[in-house]
Formats: sequence, C-alpha cells, structure tokens
Amino acid sequence: MRRKRVCFVGYGSTEYSRKSEDPLLRHYARAIGAALEQTGLQKDDIRGFSVTTQSSPDYSPHVAEQLGLELDWVLNGDYGGAGAVMSIRRAADAIEAGHIDVAVLVGGNSFDRSVVHQRPLEYQRANYVDVYGYGGPNTLMALVQRRHMQQYGTTLEQIGRIAVAQRESARSNPQALLRESMSMDDYLKSRMISEPIRLFDCVMPCSGAECIVLASEERARGITDKLVYLLTDAERVHYQVGEMLPDKTTFGIKPVAEKLFQEVRREEIDLFEIYDDYPIAVLIQIEDLGYCRKGDGGKFVEGHDLSFKGDFPVNTGGGQLSVGQAGLAGGFLHVVEALRQLRAEAGPRQVKDAERALVTGIGWLSYGRNLGTAAGLVLERRA
Amino acid sequence: MAEKNLPKINPIDRPFWQGAAEGKFLLQHCRACGKLQFFPRVVCTGCFSADLDWVAARGEGEVHSFTWVFVPRNPAFKDEVPICYANVVLDEGVILESRIVGREVANVKLGDRVRVAFQETSDPQIKLPVFELVGRL
Repeated sequence: MRRKRVCFVGYGSTEYSRKSEDPLLRHYARAIGAALEQTGLQKDDIRGFSVTTQSSPDYSPHVAEQLGLELDWVLNGDYGGAGAVMSIRRAADAIEAGHIDVAVLVGGNSFDRSVVHQRPLEYQRANYVDVYGYGGPNTLMALVQRRHMQQYGTTLEQIGRIAVAQRESARSNPQALLRESMSMDDYLKSRMISEPIRLFDCVMPCSGAECIVLASEERARGITDKLVYLLTDAERVHYQVGEMLPDKTTFGIKPVAEKLFQEVRREEIDLFEIYDDYPIAVLIQIEDLGYCRKGDGGKFVEGHDLSFKGDFPVNTGGGQLSVGQAGLAGGFLHVVEALRQLRAEAGPRQVKDAERALVTGIGWLSYGRNLGTAAGLVLERRA
Repeated sequence: MAEKNLPKINPIDRPFWQGAAEGKFLLQHCRACGKLQFFPRVVCTGCFSADLDWVAARGEGEVHSFTWVFVPRNPAFKDEVPICYANVVLDEGVILESRIVGREVANVKLGDRVRVAFQETSDPQIKLPVFELVGRL
C-alpha cells in the first residue's frame, strides 16, 4: 500500500550509556524534548503518543500521565525489535484516518533497579526453551546462523564483513558506544557466546531513548522544509508459524519485501537501515529483500562496500552493533539514522544524494523458527 | 542463588509432561485435519479445530541445527556449559528445541540421527526430554 500524506518531521535522541540507572521516564523525556526542540512543536501539540519498551512493566497511559500529555490516540508499541516500524505504521493509519495530525513515538531502555521487570506469560519459552539452558536471542540466532552456514556455505568471514563495515561507519558517530576500530581478526577472535555466535556478533545492552515525530502532510509543511514522506510500509507477524518444518533461514521480511517493492523499485533505494541484532540477521534480510538469491548473501556482502561511502550503504551510523542497543529503542535507531541521512544531517558519514531509505525491524523470538515480528518501510525525501 | 528452570505445567500441556514422565514424547494430533504439532496449544495451527488428541512420536529424528551455549540466560546452568542446544526434526516431520547429550556429543553435526531420552530433574514428577546420538550409545 502506498501512503500519501504522512511525513516524518523530526526526531530526538539521548546520549547512550552503559548502565545508567536513570529512570526510563527521564530518558523518554530527554528524547521527546530534543524532538520538540528540533520541530518547534509544543508539548500540547502532541495528540498521539506511543511507547515501545520491554524494560519496564509500565503502559503508555501511565507514561503519558507522568509526562503531562492529554491525548486523542495512545499505543503500547511493544512488538519487539519491529516495534518502531510497527508503531509508525499504526500512527500513520491514525493520521491518514484523521484522528490526529501529530504523533510522537518513543522507545527506550534503562537499568533502573527500582523497577522489577516482569516477563510476559510465555508458556512456550518457559516450558520448552528455558528448561534446556537456553542462551536467549544469542542461542536462537546461533541456530539460524549454523543452518545458513551449512546450507549455503556462508563463512564467518562473510558474516564478519557486516560487523566490520558497520564499525567503520560508527567511528564518526558520536552517539556510538563502540567507536574503536575493529578488524576481521578482532571479530573472529572475539569470545564465544553461543557458538557460532561470538561477542562481536552481539549488541551491547545500554540505556537511552529515541523519539520520532510524524505529522500529516498539511501539518508537516508548517513544521519543516525538510519533508520526508512515508512512502510505503508492511509487516508480517509469525511467518511460518503453522509450518512444522520451517525454513529457519528466511524471515518474515520476505513477504514484507514483496509488498514494499510493489510501490518502489529495489534500485531506487539509496541506503539501508536493516535491523542488526546480529550480522547474520542483516545478511539474511538482504536476501529476503531480494537484493540477491537466498543463500547468496555471503557472496553479496563480499562484493559490495557496506559502509556509508559504499555502493550498498547499510546501517550508516554503525547500527545497534556499534552504537549499542537501548532495548527497543534499537528499532528506532534505524529510523532516526535514515532521517539524519535523508535530511542531510549525518555530518561526516553523510551518504551522498540520499533520497530514499529502507528500514526494517525484526523481533519476538519464536519457537523452532526465527522471528515472530518483521516489518519494513520506505522513506522518501521530497523538496 | 538462581535455580535451574523447570516447566510450569499448565492445563494445556499437562498431558505432554505426564507422557514424558512415562517415557513418551507426545505430539498433538488434530482429529479434524490430521496435522501433528508441537508445542502444545489449544487449537490446531492448521485448521483452528479444537478437537486435538495426543499421539506418541517414535522418538527419533535428526539434528537440524545446534549451538554450543557458553552463556546461558539463567546463570544456574553455568555448571553445564557448553550446552549443546539444538533443533531436532522428528521423523514425524515436526521441529523441536531440545538438548543433545551423551556420548560423542562433542562431534555432533547437522543431519546426525538422534533418539529421545528422558532426564530426571529436581522434581521427581518431571522428566525432561533430551536427545542422544543414535549408534553412539
């Protein structure tokens, strides 16, 4: 489906830190404050509000009360790593329907010890996964990666190219927590976590928040002259859930891509912000997006320069792998970086003449398969 | 000190754990469309029928993927690392998550044949299905 009148008008980010115990609410407030400052909007202009987090049991109406927001639309946008893209889709629906004309979406994480984290009720995880000494997402993605390596001959060096390229892009990103150079050798020799997943395949958990502001086209024109449109978007929840012999190496991004590329051509995309909880997940999504055949992702990343200077720029700010993962703000990070690039605000890591960006989100570990949520969207800058 | 996780048996999966305690790996079978499924649910993932019963799998299959876990999410499992956590595809055509244990597990590779075994746990009522490499007992 093609969107017609929904625009991204601004964003706000906090600094990231390793283990800040600042309350999550303060991180939200900082990110939203930065977005208000950038857009010139006032608190009372916020009529739609969404919160994406798993690090607090709090719900968006409570957060809105804390922040003093009176609203016409509210959402808990917790769909795992796809939460940012999926929240944007829902906010865009509300804007197109005319319920609201400005939506502020926030995602964040903190290590506030006064908050007791409650895991959701998940029979399938508690009874069939955790009992075996499961290693969390690292283990899930290790099962996917080994399958990909065995089935298609994908090598660690090919997978490592993604991590190394992203680190190169991160070196000029002041928000990135990991900015020291990383060689292929550093990648290969990093400590084993859930073999074949090693330390530099994993994101570093951190504290922080990201905020995105959407508006109707009419409203957007009064806010900024840097108009970035939401061109098209799609999601797939629980791809292959009923398939008892699933293909672990294909994500729900495949059917998402089929929808996105009905509205825009693959070669019209200038940069890619691909959800990077692991390098192998980026490689698989490049395949699922159709930039190469399934199984050829290793050869594809060997044949392209993935840095912000390259011919196939991926995660131009370093991605979560180098910036850090502030919980479910991780999904927002990709959208915010796409906005920086399309608004020509990316400084030394600016992709030249960037007009269109594709952003994905994946999340929600599923039993025996891979990811339960997968979503994508395309943004377009227009003069 | 954290304890190792045990299943919190619920009304949906009680028959599965009773079966495991008796040395059987039970799959759900849809009486409407014939589909087999795992993990246990309230409806068939194929046709949404709630008319489900249980059938015992033969208990054999092959290794679909595996990983050596060095950092388990629950630190109580640290005394067992590295843990060979695996996807097994049963001969009935159903994928599972489990562990591979026993002889020659260090040499496990994809496609290896495996057979279910039932491990004692700290709860005498609960046995945990795990898999052993066939022919290397």
